[in-house]
Amino acid sequence: MTVRLSRQQVLHATRAGWYLFEPPAAIAAALPLTRRTFLRVSAAGSGGLLVLVATRDLVSASAGAVADAPFQPHALIRIDVDDAVTIWASNPDMGEGTKTSLPMLVAEELDADWTRVRLENAPLDRRYGGQGVGGSDAIASAWLHHRQAGAVGRHLLVAAAAAQWGVAADVCSTSRGVVRHDASGRTATYGSLAARAAELTPPASAALKDASRFTLIGTRVPGRDVAAIVRGLPLFGLDVRKPGMQYAAVAKSPVFARRAVRVDATRAMAVPGVARVVEIAGLPNPTHLIPGVAVVADSTWTALKARDLLDIEWEPSPFADESTASLRAQAAERLSAPPEVLHNSGNVDTALASARHVVDATYECAFVAHATLEPHNCTADVRDGECWIEGPLQMPASGRQVVAAAIGLAPEKVHVMSSRIGGGFGRRLMSDYAAEAAVVSKAMGAPVQVVDSRSGDLQHDYYRPFAVQRLRAGVDAQGRVVAWDHTLATCSRNAYRLDTRPPSSTELYGSYVGRVKTVQELDPDLVPTHIPNARLRYAALSTGVPTGAWRAPSHMAIAFAVETMLDEMAAKAGRSPVDLRLDFLGDTADVPSSAEGYTYDPARMRAVIREAAERGGIGGRAAAGRGRGFASHFTFGSYCAQVAEVSVDASKRVTVHKVTAVIDCGQPVNLLGVEAQVEGGIIDALGTAFYAEVPIARGRATVANFDTYRLIRHREAPRLVEVHVMPSRRTPTGTGEIPLPPVAPAIANAIAALTGTRLRQTPFSRDGWSLA
Amino acid sequence: MANFELLVNGERRAVDVAPDTPLLWVLRDAIGLVGTKFGCGQALCGACTVHVDGRARRSCTLPVSQLGTAAVTTIEGLSRDGSHPVQRAWVEIDVPQCGWCQAGQIMSTAALLAERPDPTDAEIGTALNGNLCRCGTYTRIRRAVQRAAELTRADGRAR
Repeated sequence: MTVRLSRQQVLHATRAGWYLFEPPAAIAAALPLTRRTFLRVSAAGSGGLLVLVATRDLVSASAGAVADAPFQPHALIRIDVDDAVTIWASNPDMGEGTKTSLPMLVAEELDADWTRVRLENAPLDRRYGGQGVGGSDAIASAWLHHRQAGAVGRHLLVAAAAAQWGVAADVCSTSRGVVRHDASGRTATYGSLAARAAELTPPASAALKDASRFTLIGTRVPGRDVAAIVRGLPLFGLDVRKPGMQYAAVAKSPVFARRAVRVDATRAMAVPGVARVVEIAGLPNPTHLIPGVAVVADSTWTALKARDLLDIEWEPSPFADESTASLRAQAAERLSAPPEVLHNSGNVDTALASARHVVDATYECAFVAHATLEPHNCTADVRDGECWIEGPLQMPASGRQVVAAAIGLAPEKVHVMSSRIGGGFGRRLMSDYAAEAAVVSKAMGAPVQVVDSRSGDLQHDYYRPFAVQRLRAGVDAQGRVVAWDHTLATCSRNAYRLDTRPPSSTELYGSYVGRVKTVQELDPDLVPTHIPNARLRYAALSTGVPTGAWRAPSHMAIAFAVETMLDEMAAKAGRSPVDLRLDFLGDTADVPSSAEGYTYDPARMRAVIREAAERGGIGGRAAAGRGRGFASHFTFGSYCAQVAEVSVDASKRVTVHKVTAVIDCGQPVNLLGVEAQVEGGIIDALGTAFYAEVPIARGRATVANFDTYRLIRHREAPRLVEVHVMPSRRTPTGTGEIPLPPVAPAIANAIAALTGTRLRQTPFSRDGWSLA
Repeated sequence: MANFELLVNGERRAVDVAPDTPLLWVLRDAIGLVGTKFGCGQALCGACTVHVDGRARRSCTLPVSQLGTAAVTTIEGLSRDGSHPVQRAWVEIDVPQCGWCQAGQIMSTAALLAERPDPTDAEIGTALNGNLCRCGTYTRIRRAVQRAAELTRADGRAR
């Protein structure tokens, strides 16, 4: 018989060692596939027999009998005759656990035996559904899609068994890869049913399990890549090795994103092993590709060393004199007369004038780098009018578009495989490094891996925006917040990426404020909806500094200001910070949805706040010398509240004894993964709050490595992080970013409780604070 | 370029590289052992930690020319199959998030336990303070080190 393989399936079939896929020449060499060749290459790959029918075919080949045929009810699933179940991990894993949690959704509905499920990384292909990860929405996006895939598979396997036994499908049950006819006790394994099931027509959809019947979802499941990680097996973008691959390092203008006007490569070319120097022109949108000069060599070390020997004159920049101080001055000016009023209810000025206590505070948050521990890198192979990209792409679909534009190919000629990602935090929403690799590979006509040094990675990031906020708030004699006047000035991410929406739309309250009509549509946790007199204003700062999304974008700066101000209001009014919050949240779900598209339910926030307050001892007395601080926040559809317990010594060294965190993320899928995200997210936010800053001077970033860009260390981590995940059967929402925004304000509030000092800028190290 | 003969994970390896090439890049690019990770290039993050004659060293700042006859062990050579107690503990506690730093964390821990089979919290902190984790797995690492110490002692009793 004739068996047709899709291009992607050939890639999987030819996979060998850590070459996740092969260039066209290697595929051509392997074709036409004889039965013998075919078996050999598939054994080198997944270990299963690949005999698949696909619509977009590259080749045809002869192979074995149909009895060998596996069952593939959906691109995400394959069931082999030997009972092996393969599920494709459709979305890249950058530490948030999608490699495990998304296949769990499929396995749950399929009723596969999880301990025997094999996982394969999926290349970019629309058959797998949306393949990006970001905005903490991987689980939410896949929740129905992936479960449907599993449910359809299970439906067909049951139908195949029922037909074989001559019984009705609804008297059969499934468990751990076996269909059972309950009355007779007959059983059939999925593999034994594969051939028959493959002949059935899949329904458009199948019934999903009720949550009460979940056996895998909601349990603690260890990460599926962990065993490979601890052995050092090649999983990551920088681990990609291809025959004939060369290494490249790219010099970029220290003053951001300028073109080279003169390049003297004499010294670089003199280094043994250097092959060539390639100029990169950049793309009109600086978040797609910035200009640079690449040195291509026979090793990473040679490329990095020779890159630093390039003598380059860069075109001048209008921002060459920019500095943190100049941005601060610009912000002060803009805050006094902000151009954009986003919301105005009641009469703020009158309410402030008549309030019992008023606090007028200005908050500043520094530029922050992503500092993914796996540096900026990607591998590309551009040959014969096609491009093969393999690397740490968080957004493979938009990466394909950017790469296609950079090298002038149609997007369908660009093939993308996302590797495991050594940290994202928002940096890999951009695919500039893939475009760099593609441009250099095209020039070389050979596979090229682009890699940057740590200093290059830190100095050419898309930073979390610098932000200055002025917030005036007032409480009345009854201790109710009656006035709220909040103005934000930032270097807008939207402006930097040349988006046509208003600059405020990425900056204020994490929402597309521009399309919001009423205050109820704003994230209500942030704009207390029951404050009768509230005004929100925004001013965009003009800057040459690249900006982008950083884990819980804009929420970090906003939550810091709002949550410390609420604490200050409570202190002025002599009230518990928890009671003050519960007051204005209200009791009823009167807020239909947030601007981020998630339904906001004040009742869920109240429950999280109460749970955290009780578990964390708010209202109780802390041990002598210790202070507690509270904060809560609604981010990307999930709810989180935290209590931090700290002590402080005379040199402003802060010991974080304990952080108690409560999260409501709807139905938890992998409980172990949710807990990991909360533990790790808290530690990330803690280090960021204390140390993270990219100072700007003379138009450039003045950080060089982890000596000048400080990350949190082992000894500084909290002694204890207690995580409580609210039991829930609601549709799952995110966890990756949600634990971060409450951390800085909870710590600042704890320090204030202990010392009376209010921290109003991040990093706290600016004011001399450090972690003990 | 120059020829060097290294002893890596018990095997002799001949490489032809520039003498100033750090061991990290010899392992990754010349030998093809990519389990040892690049994080900073200046011995500031610990991702590249290997054992040189049994001691934890940062391979990113160790020129190949200074290695001499020293025995190098990388994460790939810690055990053949992931059965080293530290690797088992890491799996049991489900430590990694992104995973990039973990080879370095594991190599530092293995060196610590070889010298101090029952380390105190302070000794763990000191031994691992130079190994940065960007995802914040420090609390799980601490538990895993203690678990690895238990497993090491149990293995010792079994022998």
